[in-house]
Amino acid sequence: MSKHDITLNVNGKKYELTVNSNELLLNVLRDKLFLTGSKYGCGIAECGACTILKDDESYFACMVPAVAADGWNITTVEGLADGDKLNPVQQAFIDNSAIQCGFCVPGMVVTSTALLRENPDPDEDFVKDYLRGNFCRCTGYVAMVKSVLDAASKMKEAK
Amino acid sequence: MTTRILATEFDYLKPATLEEALKILSEKENVRILAGGTDVIVKMKVAGMTCDYLMDVKGIDSLDYAKLDDDGVFHIGALAKLSHLEKNPIVAERYPALKEAFHLMASISVRNMATMVGNICNASPVADSVVPCICYNAILTLASVRGQRTVPIEKFFLAPGVTVMEKDEMLIDVALPQPEANSGAAFIKKTRVRPDIAKISVGVRVVRDGDKANFCRIAMGAIAATPAYLEATSALVIGKKVTPELIAEVAAHAAAAIHPIDDNRTTAEYRVAIAEVLTKDALTEAWRNAGGEL
Amino acid sequence: MSVIGKNTPRIDGPAKVSGKQQYASDIIIPGMMYAVTLRSPYPHAEILSIDTSEAEAMGAVCLTYEDIIPVIYNERSVSVPAATYRDRTVLPKKARHIGEPIAAVAADTEELAYKAMQALKVEYKVLDAVYEPEEAMKDGAPQLYDKIYFGDEEVIVKNNIGVVRNIDEGDSVGGFARADRIFEEDFELPRIYHCQLETKGCVAAPDTEGGITVWATAQSIHGNRQLLAQTLGLPLSKVNVKKITLGGGFGSSIQVNTVTPICAALAMKARRPVKLLSAREEDFYSHHKYPSKFHVRIGVTNDGVITAAHVKALIDFGAHQIQPMSFMGCVAGWFASLYKYEGNIKFDGVAVYTNKTPCCAMQGYGNPQINFAIESMVDIICNEMGFDPIQFRLKNYRGTGEEFWGQGPTIRSIIKSCGVEESLVEGSKLMEEWATRGKPEDKHGDILTGVGLARGFHCSGTAGPKEGEVIDYSSALVKVNEDGSIDCVTPVMDHGGGTWDALAKILTEVFKVPLNMVGLSPADTKNTGYDVCTHATRGVYCGGAAVYNAAVKCRDKLLEFAGRVMDEHPCHLEIVENEELGQGFIQVKGFPQKGRTIGEVAKIAQINSWGTAMYAESFRQKNCPPCFTTHFVKVAVNTRTGEITIPKVVIYGDCGVAMNPDLLYGQLIGSFNRGLGYVLYENLPHDERTGKLKNNGLLVDYKMPTAVEMPKAENVIVRHAHTYEPTGPFGAKGIGEAALASVQAAIANAIYNATGIRFTKLPITPEIMLKALQEKGLAHK
Ligand SMILES: Cc1cc2nc3c(=O)[nH]c(=O)nc-3n(C[C@H](O)[C@H](O)[C@H](O)COP(=O)(O)OP(=O)(O)OC[C@H]3O[C@@H](n4cnc5c(N)ncnc54)[C@H](O)[C@@H]3O)c2cc1C
Ligand code: FES
Ligand code: FES
Repeated sequence: MSKHDITLNVNGKKYELTVNSNELLLNVLRDKLFLTGSKYGCGIAECGACTILKDDESYFACMVPAVAADGWNITTVEGLADGDKLNPVQQAFIDNSAIQCGFCVPGMVVTSTALLRENPDPDEDFVKDYLRGNFCRCTGYVAMVKSVLDAASKMKEAK
Repeated sequence: MTTRILATEFDYLKPATLEEALKILSEKENVRILAGGTDVIVKMKVAGMTCDYLMDVKGIDSLDYAKLDDDGVFHIGALAKLSHLEKNPIVAERYPALKEAFHLMASISVRNMATMVGNICNASPVADSVVPCICYNAILTLASVRGQRTVPIEKFFLAPGVTVMEKDEMLIDVALPQPEANSGAAFIKKTRVRPDIAKISVGVRVVRDGDKANFCRIAMGAIAATPAYLEATSALVIGKKVTPELIAEVAAHAAAAIHPIDDNRTTAEYRVAIAEVLTKDALTEAWRNAGGEL
Repeated sequence: MSVIGKNTPRIDGPAKVSGKQQYASDIIIPGMMYAVTLRSPYPHAEILSIDTSEAEAMGAVCLTYEDIIPVIYNERSVSVPAATYRDRTVLPKKARHIGEPIAAVAADTEELAYKAMQALKVEYKVLDAVYEPEEAMKDGAPQLYDKIYFGDEEVIVKNNIGVVRNIDEGDSVGGFARADRIFEEDFELPRIYHCQLETKGCVAAPDTEGGITVWATAQSIHGNRQLLAQTLGLPLSKVNVKKITLGGGFGSSIQVNTVTPICAALAMKARRPVKLLSAREEDFYSHHKYPSKFHVRIGVTNDGVITAAHVKALIDFGAHQIQPMSFMGCVAGWFASLYKYEGNIKFDGVAVYTNKTPCCAMQGYGNPQINFAIESMVDIICNEMGFDPIQFRLKNYRGTGEEFWGQGPTIRSIIKSCGVEESLVEGSKLMEEWATRGKPEDKHGDILTGVGLARGFHCSGTAGPKEGEVIDYSSALVKVNEDGSIDCVTPVMDHGGGTWDALAKILTEVFKVPLNMVGLSPADTKNTGYDVCTHATRGVYCGGAAVYNAAVKCRDKLLEFAGRVMDEHPCHLEIVENEELGQGFIQVKGFPQKGRTIGEVAKIAQINSWGTAMYAESFRQKNCPPCFTTHFVKVAVNTRTGEITIPKVVIYGDCGVAMNPDLLYGQLIGSFNRGLGYVLYENLPHDERTGKLKNNGLLVDYKMPTAVEMPKAENVIVRHAHTYEPTGPFGAKGIGEAALASVQAAIANAIYNATGIRFTKLPITPEIMLKALQEKGLAHK
C-alpha cells in the first residue's frame, strides 16, 4: 500500500497531509480535517449524504480515494456560508421548513447550490430531477424543492 | 464487504500521459484502471474487487475531449464525463438517444464523476450508454504499447464484466459516425425509481427513405449477459414501409427474441412483457423523429 | 405575540444547513479508537470458539461473548419488566440471523480494525435455519431458543412461538350473528427497513473514575443508560448518556441499538474512547418493520352498521424479541379503536421467531399494517354494499366520547378532541376528483385513474388514566435566569419532527417571552430525570406536558418572589407579554402600574439570596388521545407497463393545536413519501438458501421514492383539522406516526377505483400490477 503527500484545498483553505492510498476522501474530511458536515449514509453513491463540490460540480466524497483528490478545490457544506451569512439555498431551507432530522441536509444544500450555479432559473421538474440522487427519509422532498425554487427567485431579485 | 472504508490495499499510480499509462499496463501485473471510479470503488467495497495497482487515468489530459474530426465523426475521449457529454450541443443535436441515456443514468453527482468509457469498459449488461452507442454504430479504439485497434461496440462485450480488451489495453476513444439525414432515434429505460439501473432499456435508430426504413438498429440492455444488438429483429424493419402493424410485429419479435432472467430489479416475465411495449414505443418515436408518419 | 400555532424558523435550522449540527457519528475524541463488528455469515450457528490472538497481535482490542457480562435483556425497555420478554445478550454464543454481531474489534484506524476483524478465527457449528413463521411453528422445525424469560420467569419456547396474545371483548359471536353480511379477507405486509439516514452508531469514552460517557443514536438516553449500567455492571451514576441530535429514527432507536452496548464494553475493555458506526449493510441487518399477515372478518348490517370484527394476526418478528408482545397488543388496539363494531371484537395473535433480522417499531407500531387491512375492508364493504365511503365511516368510527386504546388493551382513555368529520368532509372537497371518481368498470384507456380514501390515527403517547403495561412519563427542569431568559433541561429527544421547537414554544407561552429568550440546555442522563423515550408520538403531548408542568411550577415560584418584590399576594399576579421590553412582564392581573419584568424579579431574588426560580419534576400524562389523519389519493395506473404514479394527494392531519403548522405539514408529507415506498416499492426478500437479504444490505437494491416520484408540489395538498385537545399542552396532541397510518389503504383503494383490482398484499410493484391487469384482460400493449 502506497503513502502519498497530498494537498487539498477545502473551503478556501490549503491542507497538506499524508494519506494511505486506500483512505477515502469522506473519511479524511471528517476524521482528519474535522469537517463532519459531510455525512456517511451508504458509501456507494446511492444517498448523497456525502456530497461536496469539486469546483462547481457536485461529487460524492465516499467514492473518491483521498489521494485521487490531490490538488482539488473542494467546498464542503461548511464552506457554503460566508461567516454567519448563509447562502441563499441554506436560508431558503430554513425559511421553507425543509429540514427535519437534518442528516441529509448538508448533501442536499450542497447539491442545490451546484444546481443554481448550473441553472439559475430552474423549474420544479428540473429541481426534482437534479435532487434525485440525494436521499431524504424524513421530509418527502416537497419543501426542499420549494426551497430551491425560492432561493432561485430570491437570487434573481437580488441581482 | 464494507461500504465505510476501502478495505483492500493497493499502490496508487497516476500517469500523466497515455504512453506512461500503457507502459504501466504492459509491465505491471494486476493493474486496475480508475476513471470516475463509480464502478471501481463500489466493486472494491462490496464485490471483493482487489488489485495491486490502482492506476488513476484522470491525469491524462489528452483523453479529456468530445469533438468532431474533419470527417464529421464525433469522438469521445476516455475521460469525458457523462454530465459534460449530456450538455454537449453536438450530442444533443446528433445523438439525442445517447443524451437521453446519459440523462437517465444515476444522479448528477455520479454523472459529474463518471465517464462514458468507464460505463462501456465496466461491461455491465445494463450499461445505459452502450445501448444507444450500438444504435449509432460506435467504433471503439483500444490502445496498448503494441499499437491501436478498433472494434465495433457490439463486438466488444463477451460476458458480464468481460470484453475483448486485453489486459495491457486501454479504451481511449469512442467514435460516433455522423447520422444520415432523415434518421431518428429513441431511448427508453424502465427503472424502479428514477435514479436506478435499468430493469430494461431499449434503443432504436432508423433511417427513413420516404415511407420506408432503409436502416434500423434495435438494441436492448438488461435482457442478456451483455447489452444486445437485436440484429434479426432490426432486419425486419429494413426496406419495409413503416406502419403501426409493422411496428407491432417488430415489437412482438423483439419480445420473443430475448431470454432474460429474474434478478433483484425485476422478473424475466416482466422484461419480456415490456420489451414488446418499449420496442413499440421506441420504434414509433424513432420513426417520428426521422420525419416518418404513421 | 404568541408563537404557538405560528410558523417559526426551526431553532436548529442554521446549524443543520451549515453542517455544524453534531450527531453521534460526528463525535471525535482525541485518542479515539475505531471499532468494527464481525457479523454472522450464517443465519443459525453455534459459536464454538473465537480466536482473537492474531487480531490482538495487530494491536487490536477484541470483544467476544467471553468478555461480556451475560445479562439477558430486551433492547426495548418502554414496557414494564413484567410485560417484557428477554432473550439476548450483548454478544451471543449462538448466532440467530445473518448479520448478527458476533464479536467486535477496535484499533487505531477503521482500516486496521477491519483487517483485525478479518483475522478473527471463529469456529461455528452451523444449524438448520427457518425463515417463515408457518414453517417455524411446525414440529421438528429448527428451534431458535429453548428458554427465554418473561419478566423474572423462565419460559420454555415451543415451536418457536414467541408470544401468543388473544383479546376478546363484547360478544363477537352474537355480533356476527346479527350481521347481514360477513366479509372476510387475508392481508399481507412485507418486511421493510427504516433506512434512517444516520446509521446506528455510538461513541463511548471511559473516564478515570471507572465510569463511561456515551453518545449514541438513541430515541431515549435513559433507556440507553439503564441497559449500559446493567451490561457493564456499573452503578447508574457511572454511566452518562448524552443527548445528541439523531439523524432519523422512525422507531429504529426506541430500543438500545445493538451496537451501543458492544461499543461501551469495548471502550471499557480498551480503556480508551471507541467509535463504532454501522455500515449501511450492517444497519440493514439490524432492525426491520414487522411483516404481518392478517385474516380479517367483519360483520355488517344492511343499514351499514358494523356489528363485529375478528382479526387473526401472524407476525414474523425475527431472531430476537423487541416486544412483539406489546406490538400485538397495539395492533389489537388500533384495530379496536378504528370503528365501534358495537363493542364486539376479537383478536388472536401469534408472533414467531425466525432466523431473520429482529423486527421493531417503525412509524406506527403495527398501525400502518392493520390500518391497511381494516381500511381496505371498509372499501370492500362500501363497494360491495353500495355505501358512501365517507358516510359509512362517519357512522361507524370511534370519535369524541368513545374509548381509544392508546397502546394495547391496558392503556385506554376517552377521546376528547376529534377532527375526523372535518377531515373527511373538507378533504373530499379539496380532492375535486373524489366526487367524479366513477366506478372501475367505466374506465378505459392506457392510463386508468382512480381516487381512494382511507383514514387512520395514532396515539399521542402511551399514558392512560391507569398505569398499564407501558411506562410513560418525562422529566424537565425549568429555570428563569436573572435577565428573564429561560433555561430548560430535559431528556426528551427530537427525531427531527420539531419536538424541541415545540418544547421551546411551550416555555415562551408560560413565561411570555420571545422565542430567542428560551434555550434547551445540553442534557444527559446525569442532569435529567427519566424520560421513557420519544416514541409512540409522545414528544409534544407527553414530553411537552412535562416541560409545561415544570414551567408552570417554576412560574409559581417566580410569582412568589414577585409577590415579595411587589408587596402583593402571588395569587393576584400574572405574567403578560411586553414586546417593548422583550421579555415577560409580571403585573397585578389587569394592572400594569407596578409591574416588573421576570428578569428583574429573578435578579432581585438572587441579590436577596432568596434563590433561583427553578423547578424540576417528572410528569405523567393521564390520557392517550388519538391524533387522526385522512388521505385522499389519486393514482394513475399504466396498463401497458403496470407502473403506478400519484398525480395528487390530499392529506388531513388532526394534531390538536399545531405548534408549528409547517413542521406538521413536513411530517405529513414525509410520511406520505414513506407510505409510497411501503405500498409501491419496498420489500426485503430473503434468499431461502442462505438466509441473506437479497439486496445484501445495499441501497442499490432497496429503492425508496425520491423527489421525482412525489406528486407536483401544488398537488400535495395538506391541511389540519381545527381541534383543541383539552388535555394537551396548549391544545396539542401528536401527529408523527399517525401521518403514515392511512397512506397504504388510500393508495390501494385508489388502485381499486382505477382498475377494479383489489390488492391485499404489499408492495404493489409494476410486475405485480401488470400481471393482475393481464389476468383481468386490462393490460394493453
Ligand atoms: C449509484 C450509481 C448509479 C449508477 N447508475 C447507472 C445507470 O443508471 N446506468 C449505468 O449504465 N450505469 C450506472 N452506474 C454505473 C457507473 O456509474 C457507470 O458505469 C459509469 O459510467 C462508470 O464510469 P467511471 O468513469 O466511474 O468508471 P470507473 O469506475 O472508473 O471504471 C469502470 C470500469 O472501467 C474500467 N476502465 C475505466 N476507464 C477505462 C479505460 N479508459 N480503458 C479501459 N478500462 C477502463 C475500470 O477499470 C473499471 O473496470 C451507476 C453507478 C452508481 C454507483
Ligand atoms: S455516503 Fe456517499 S452517496 Fe451515500
Ligand atoms: S431531514 Fe432526515 S433524512 Fe432528510
